[in-house]
Amino acid sequence: MNTQGLGLLQSSAVKEMANIGLGHAATALAGLTGQTYVMDVPVVERLVLEDVPQFVGGREDVMVAVYMDFEGDVVGQTAYVFPWDSAQVLWATLVGKAPATPDDVDELAASATLEVGNIICSSFLNAISDLTGLRMHATPPMVSIDSVTSILSTVAAEAEIRDLLGLVLETDIRMEGTPRTPGYFLCMPNEAGLSLLLERMGVSEAA
Amino acid sequence: MPTGTVLSVGMAEIKVAKGPVVYSCLGLGSCIGLCAIDAASGVSGMVHIMLPEAFKDKPVEKPGKFADTGLPEMLKLMEKQGADLGRLQVAYAGGAQVFNFGASADSRLDVGARNATAVEALVLKLRLRVLGKDVGGSSGRTVTVDTSTGVCTVRTVKAGEAELCRLKSV
Repeated sequence: MNTQGLGLLQSSAVKEMANIGLGHAATALAGLTGQTYVMDVPVVERLVLEDVPQFVGGREDVMVAVYMDFEGDVVGQTAYVFPWDSAQVLWATLVGKAPATPDDVDELAASATLEVGNIICSSFLNAISDLTGLRMHATPPMVSIDSVTSILSTVAAEAEIRDLLGLVLETDIRMEGTPRTPGYFLCMPNEAGLSLLLERMGVSEAA
Repeated sequence: MPTGTVLSVGMAEIKVAKGPVVYSCLGLGSCIGLCAIDAASGVSGMVHIMLPEAFKDKPVEKPGKFADTGLPEMLKLMEKQGADLGRLQVAYAGGAQVFNFGASADSRLDVGARNATAVEALVLKLRLRVLGKDVGGSSGRTVTVDTSTGVCTVRTVKAGEAELCRLKSV
């Protein structure tokens, strides 16, 4: 796997942005559900796009994903990909029952997922936008419930068309007291956008 | 039971082999996995296509990434191993739109459909004999081809595993 090594300073700046962005996302989720959410400090990797699916190690388990394009000073796409078990906890909280299988996900459950994903991706973008003063506008999200590799390969293909970078954060936003089930947050800005973000974080591209 | 070596064909990869092998393209979302077998020479190949065509303004580092460079490259490699391209039997699957719920789901992320169209046009142009295809829809697929039996299977989360077709085995 090619990690296209971010420099040490760049890496810590990206990690800091990821921490702040995901922290805001967890807070927003707590507001939506009335539950306390905790978050793992993310592991951040910059990957060649065709290696993004391999990040999970060739797994085929079902995950739930919300994808969102963003526009503004920095353009790109985000996706929050979380385990089926975490989705079930969310569905039980938000719509009162959790679908037993992916086939049982009805319109209501899918809409709830869309809303949760919207809140997570938007709060992530808003937090980074506030931090850096760069505009990053959310756009309407889309949902997929499929094997994690199918989800990641589709997001990577889209990023390839748009010439975006593959920043993958492994993290876990979970309700307090529920088991740890890591998910993935993909933040895929354009190259110029990442340079701008790093510059605003006080790190030059050459570092 | 599969008998040959298992060759996992990752995104943008091309694998070619002589003799019995099992190819596996795991988690094809919008991507397409295409397998060809020349039974008489025992040569087979599989490509995991990510996008319909190479970018005009960028060098192609991995030909397997694009339909228009990947398929010809795979055929070239197969020919080098002794395959007669006139005898090939082909199967392909993938090109789904896995993000199928949301206001913009119809207009965005249509790369799966574009991949399917591109591959379809290419196999026609190259006069390849297609015995099975399973493209489009909203389910990601895992495609496995056992060249010792010629059996191509497609697995999805919702429908489980099903046989797509049987190519002539090596």
